[in-house]
Amino acid sequence: MKNKVLLSILLLTFIGCSESFNVDLSFGDSESDSINPGIDNAFASTYAPMNSEPMLFRSANIYDGLGGEFLNYDLLLSDGKIIEIGESITAPGVMVIDATDKWITPGIIDIHSHMGVYSAPGVSTSSDGNEATSPVTAEVWAEHSLWTQDPQFALALKGGVTAFHVLPGSANLFGGRGATFKNVSQNTVQAMKFPDAPHSLKMACGENPKRVYGNRRQAPSTRMGNMAGYRSAWIEAVEYTDGMNERNSDRRPTRDLAMDTLMGVLNGEILIQNHCYRAEEMAMMIELSKEFNYKITAFHHAVEAYKIADLLADEEICAALWADWWGFKHEAYDMVQANVAIIDQAKNGTGCAIVHSDDPVGIQHLNQEAAKAMAAGNRAGYEISRAHAMRWITSNPAKAAGILDQTGTIEIGKDADVVLWSGNPFSVYSRAEKVLVDGALAFDMDNPKIQPITDFDLGIIQPQANRAQ
Amino acid sequence: MKRLFTSLFLLILIASISAETILLKGGLVHSGNGGAGIIQDILISDNTIVDVGNNLIIDGNTQVIEVNGLPVTPGLISPMSNLGIVEINSLDVTRDDESELLSAGFSIFNAFNPHSTGIPWNRSNGVTSAISTPSETSFPIFGLGSHFILDGSLEIKGSKDIAMFGRLGASYGSRAETLSLLESLLDIGKMVNSMTIEDILDLNIADQLELQAQDIIALGKVVNDDMPLVIETNRAVDILQALAMKQKYGLNLVLVSIEEAPMVLDQIKASNTPVIIDPMDNIPNSFDELGSSLDLGRMLDQAGIPIMFSTQRSHNYHLMRQGSGNAVAHGMSYETAIKGMTQTVAQTFNLDNRGSIEPGKLADVIVWDGDPLEPASFPKIIMIEGQLQDLSSRSSKLTERYMNKEDKPSSYKH
Repeated sequence: MKNKVLLSILLLTFIGCSESFNVDLSFGDSESDSINPGIDNAFASTYAPMNSEPMLFRSANIYDGLGGEFLNYDLLLSDGKIIEIGESITAPGVMVIDATDKWITPGIIDIHSHMGVYSAPGVSTSSDGNEATSPVTAEVWAEHSLWTQDPQFALALKGGVTAFHVLPGSANLFGGRGATFKNVSQNTVQAMKFPDAPHSLKMACGENPKRVYGNRRQAPSTRMGNMAGYRSAWIEAVEYTDGMNERNSDRRPTRDLAMDTLMGVLNGEILIQNHCYRAEEMAMMIELSKEFNYKITAFHHAVEAYKIADLLADEEICAALWADWWGFKHEAYDMVQANVAIIDQAKNGTGCAIVHSDDPVGIQHLNQEAAKAMAAGNRAGYEISRAHAMRWITSNPAKAAGILDQTGTIEIGKDADVVLWSGNPFSVYSRAEKVLVDGALAFDMDNPKIQPITDFDLGIIQPQANRAQ
Repeated sequence: MKRLFTSLFLLILIASISAETILLKGGLVHSGNGGAGIIQDILISDNTIVDVGNNLIIDGNTQVIEVNGLPVTPGLISPMSNLGIVEINSLDVTRDDESELLSAGFSIFNAFNPHSTGIPWNRSNGVTSAISTPSETSFPIFGLGSHFILDGSLEIKGSKDIAMFGRLGASYGSRAETLSLLESLLDIGKMVNSMTIEDILDLNIADQLELQAQDIIALGKVVNDDMPLVIETNRAVDILQALAMKQKYGLNLVLVSIEEAPMVLDQIKASNTPVIIDPMDNIPNSFDELGSSLDLGRMLDQAGIPIMFSTQRSHNYHLMRQGSGNAVAHGMSYETAIKGMTQTVAQTFNLDNRGSIEPGKLADVIVWDGDPLEPASFPKIIMIEGQLQDLSSRSSKLTERYMNKEDKPSSYKH
């Protein structure tokens, strides 16, 4: 018999979608926050910033992540926060870094990562991102899969990434909870978790769930099967939420992890990040969210978002997009490079565009991906500045991750998550020279002692030579 | 609006040029041969570059296109693509890159679809020709790649079956078995000199490996006729095994991926082996790739090893510009990067008449709106064999449709 087995391309296109803004944090019932005391605090962040000393960047060019550009400005960081932005700041005794002809941006944020749940090396024992055993697995949490020694974190840090949102994969209709992390080296997951960042719930449209389960001759095997699956779950979640709001505790349902997650969405505490490529499917998901009264924060991978840009702007839903990936499946066929720009410019520029990676290489170059998307938009007729496009990889993903109050911009009082670039970050030749997380130097291109080497990297090629040194 | 006028202008320009002689005047010409860019004129007659220099003498019928200092390069050549043979990866019915019957002799040439949407997309991004290859299988040799001119013509232009593609490393069974299998195949290739194909087919080994006549003929070309054998491998010691095989069989070897090459640079250099790398892939995706880093391109360049570029993802082979740009950001020379997308590919795969801007070469020429290594740059003028190409693609058509704000259904916006 033929000993040749043809490789079928493994198209486990992971999914992602994140959502953003205007999250209603109020509860449906004033007592509901005391009903499930375990939910809010379980696995909470224990993150503590690394030690830092005050730092003054002198004569930098700054993109503030809100659309502002400040040429030849100083930036003062202290106690892990951004203290002052101005011309000729005086700060006696503070370490001064000459940033002449260099650029400073907020730390880059990726709203769609699978680092730690699809770690490198990509071996079967590290394939922890898709609980593809049932189409509804809202009970799983991506953070419970996270491997803290994934070498991809440090590579992303070298690309200026200071925070990232880790999502489960897209095999399921409800893939589970996503969580946001500071890009710091720690040996526990909780010590990496971004303080007070909300969870997300990953949902997935289209080809992936119907392929995964259809191939097993179970539901869903069609797009209409996908919709039925979402609706059935939400019906149950509404009943569960109503039950949990019963004043008489005897009448409340038994606690259910999956329903806890869906209830969190209905209560506005958990943000929907929805993998969805096609225009009509996104519109359908919006209608679904209205049927059950929840909010979609972002559509991820939304290759056809440009077809419904106004609708997304009206609904205040972000679109997290690649600059140019396409063709790997049918729902990713209608790619336009101006997608990000069209979303951004919708409804007089009120759209929320995000450039995401979903990829351990892409996450290291989100600045270049944004550059491509901006150039494509400008070729198509827009006039989008670099300062504005910087929002796509800083404040907009921060908004979609629910962490914009803490990070994502260069503003006084924000976390000092900052990147010093060797040149303009929209150039392929520019590199992140220094990356600070909460004011602490997490990566320094010029100092090997300030370049994280994971346990995985240590001595793995030869005892005396670490990986990636 | 300004951009719209620019595109209109270009369209008119393209429509109006019917002269057989064109002068691209005053571009920053990167000839692709490894030299620095200099401001020069390029004179093109019919399909060929006839002169490059300053103050070229032209007659009254020559169409002059002012390039005004914009960068000019040869058309880019992808050394490893699926262009024309894969439309949508997840749909097998749109794929012609795999064979169950053939292995070493599997030719994708006759499957090439010049109307694949990937062709105008990659062309409009600067790729004017490409080597398309069969995809990886569990057998260590997957078949033969062919070179195609991406002008969309139904009359397929290119070179058939110019190189054989395979792999060595962790994936299916022991690499020791893979090495043994590769040697058996090369031994069979040698037999073509002294035995008939029919007699070889009767051999037990040929039967066991389920070889067809096409496989044996192709193996003969690799061993006896200097056809390039392109092997993807990563682990440092596997690279050495491949180099040993090259020496033993006198192969025209090309190495792909080689993420651990920095540990065996001297040996690669000494063997005079060209390489194809993805300079952005610094992920230790497998235990074969632990030495992976963004410094690979610089180190290969400093060792003087000829470099070409693959891309991480399908469908966007022009992203070798971004990849090589990143390599330059990490220390590769700019000229090596340009050469790696043009002349190095032509030299490695014997595409003698293209790959550089020099008199006598076919006129595959790109005028860029900015530095071609910046991913935000884009071609302004694309010429394949002297013919100006339309810059549109299905993607640009979709963009126009959805930027059109007329109040009617999108299906009527065309």
